[in-house]
Amino acid sequence: MTVSLKDLDDGQFTERYGADRFTATVLASRMRYIVQHMCTGLLNNAFSLILRDWYDFAATISGPPEQNYPMSSVSNSLAMFLGTMSEAVRNTVEEYGPENLRPGDVVICNDPYRAGNHVNDICFIRPVFAGDRLISFVTLRAHQLDMGGVVPAGFSGTKRNVYENGLVIAPTLLYRDNKPIKSAFNLIFDNARYCALLLPDIKTIYANLLLGEQLILESVERYGVEAYLGAIRYSTDVSAEAMRTALAELPDGVYEAEEGIDCDGIDDTIDYRIKVKITKSGPRMELDFSGTSPQARTSINAGILDTKTAVGVALKFLIDPATPFTSGAYRDIDIVLPAGTFISATPPDGAVFLYWESTGPVLLAVFRALEKALGRKAVGGDYGSLNIHNANGVLEDGTPWVTTAQCGGEHGPWGATEAGDADSYSVVYQANNLDPATEAIESELPAVVLRKEYTPDSGGAGTNRGGAAVLKDTLYLTAAEHWSSPLHTKSPSGLGVYGGKSGGLGATWVFHADRGDVVRRKELIGTADEVYAEATPVAGMLNPDTKCIDPDGKYFYFASTPVWHTKPHAVFRYLTNGGGGWGDPTERDPERVKRDVRDEYVTIEGAYRDYGVVITGDPLTDPEGLQVDEAATRKRRAEMAAR
Amino acid sequence: MPREEVSEEDLHALGVDLARDFPGSTAADFRRYPVLSEGGWFIAVKHQRTLESVAREPGPLLGPIILASDGLDVN
Repeated sequence: MTVSLKDLDDGQFTERYGADRFTATVLASRMRYIVQHMCTGLLNNAFSLILRDWYDFAATISGPPEQNYPMSSVSNSLAMFLGTMSEAVRNTVEEYGPENLRPGDVVICNDPYRAGNHVNDICFIRPVFAGDRLISFVTLRAHQLDMGGVVPAGFSGTKRNVYENGLVIAPTLLYRDNKPIKSAFNLIFDNARYCALLLPDIKTIYANLLLGEQLILESVERYGVEAYLGAIRYSTDVSAEAMRTALAELPDGVYEAEEGIDCDGIDDTIDYRIKVKITKSGPRMELDFSGTSPQARTSINAGILDTKTAVGVALKFLIDPATPFTSGAYRDIDIVLPAGTFISATPPDGAVFLYWESTGPVLLAVFRALEKALGRKAVGGDYGSLNIHNANGVLEDGTPWVTTAQCGGEHGPWGATEAGDADSYSVVYQANNLDPATEAIESELPAVVLRKEYTPDSGGAGTNRGGAAVLKDTLYLTAAEHWSSPLHTKSPSGLGVYGGKSGGLGATWVFHADRGDVVRRKELIGTADEVYAEATPVAGMLNPDTKCIDPDGKYFYFASTPVWHTKPHAVFRYLTNGGGGWGDPTERDPERVKRDVRDEYVTIEGAYRDYGVVITGDPLTDPEGLQVDEAATRKRRAEMAAR
Repeated sequence: MPREEVSEEDLHALGVDLARDFPGSTAADFRRYPVLSEGGWFIAVKHQRTLESVAREPGPLLGPIILASDGLDVN
């Protein structure tokens, strides 16, 4: 029988962890401080937009080989990295050979099949030695703006194999004796674009690895090696115990669900489906993904470690949100996943780049499978796709420019919970990033963000409302080439739960300048239905005549034009999916519905249709004068209940 | 994903006493298959109803993934 950590007496605790309870707790907190400090150092000094404005990086601390590399501390940042980094460190160091490491080294690896994520996400791993004893690793995984391949900056679902995808770096020494290894730098800089940004960022990453190492060694000097190693075990044991306790509270049973992604980058003929069978017994859980569709023909695939991450993030969200996401969270969770599916792709043909687009449905499948078991604790789905926009061009003076993940539908709504309405402007559940400031975008790019606003009636109705979909318009001032990747437009990702309704569908359009130049006209493109007749669909379920969103309409395939070549003054419009609602919408307090109408989350028509609330007045001209017609509301809700 | 059957002899070799450890169960209630968990890949022998592992041997570092460079002999 397992004794809980709090039930260990002082002697048992010290014997197990090589330190008293207070010291182990101090060291665990100290490790979290260290990884946050490393991240702050990188954030404050990065040049690349994806690091500086997106926070597309994470820091971790792992234990030594004899402990099997437990990842004991993680930064408050990109969860998609945190789930892979424990294996990334182990797989990189084991292949390189721990016996070949020495103080002053930095080893790198970016291979999605060895280390997870995609090739731009290089793992920089620093072994930490106390004297000549290898005691730990500090790691920064940081997205590099480019890593070669056929698409500048890389974000595309149309790359067909690892050769088109970008440079793969097997475990490679980047620094030895604290000196850069020229051949390793050459490998990157002879293959990557925008190297003037990459070089100072890599030096900043290195400096923050040194910071992490220094802070660890200061702790070791004060508390001793055995206490430090014990605190690593303690940190992961805390996570393991919290997840075990949360699992035990779920009803035993077998829970199944399916989810999918729209298509791959070749055509829209293949239906890619995730099948998950979750078996829960006591404090243990097994997730079996057998039967999931074979790997895709292009870079929409995810790797096995990305799927592992999605499982962990889903369970942290649903049942154990309070403790850090260390490697210990997986102690009582087994994942069964054959190779060669689109969530466990293999080289060289199973190219991995937009991995989160395929593991988002993994997370959603877990949400869907466990919805009934969770009851009131169920969580609504989010907007489901980063809808990443990747574009580049050349200024008049010949200077190249690039934008990535700034001007698409990268940010959007979450799903509602028992606790309340959902946020409408965040990042998908598996991420945890910043939103690039409009000022930063417009100061560096020949682009103007024209709209960035919520769309009424798009959030899933519920006792607690799902977040509203985000509509974003971006004007490009120069000619440009674009890769657009909205991959969840066929069915709602904003799953409604506990009686709540699902959020609305999103879509993407381009308005070419020859169909109405916003610069010449000096007015924005409207948002009423009639404007879409002038648009060219990029992706979505649309009415083929009006080009408006229609769940029963025709699917417009995102890669029908793999690369969009536009003249100056083209506008791309992204509309995200809406977030899922929680609870029966007719149980929402009419005063809360009125407030939503005032704030333009819900229209007067939507209040009547979705919530059964009759509101009088005009939200645009007299928002504080809106009134709930209580008698009409009672009548309307009675009619809805009788259906 | 295929799950291998396990014999009573296999379980005995793993130190499992069915009557003592899993009353009412037989060898047919166990399977051997690869799993990804804390610590990486394992070849686990698990009681299917309770999910209890009676054996967990470390598996290949990358699990079922085969790299293009696997088997490369540069010597």
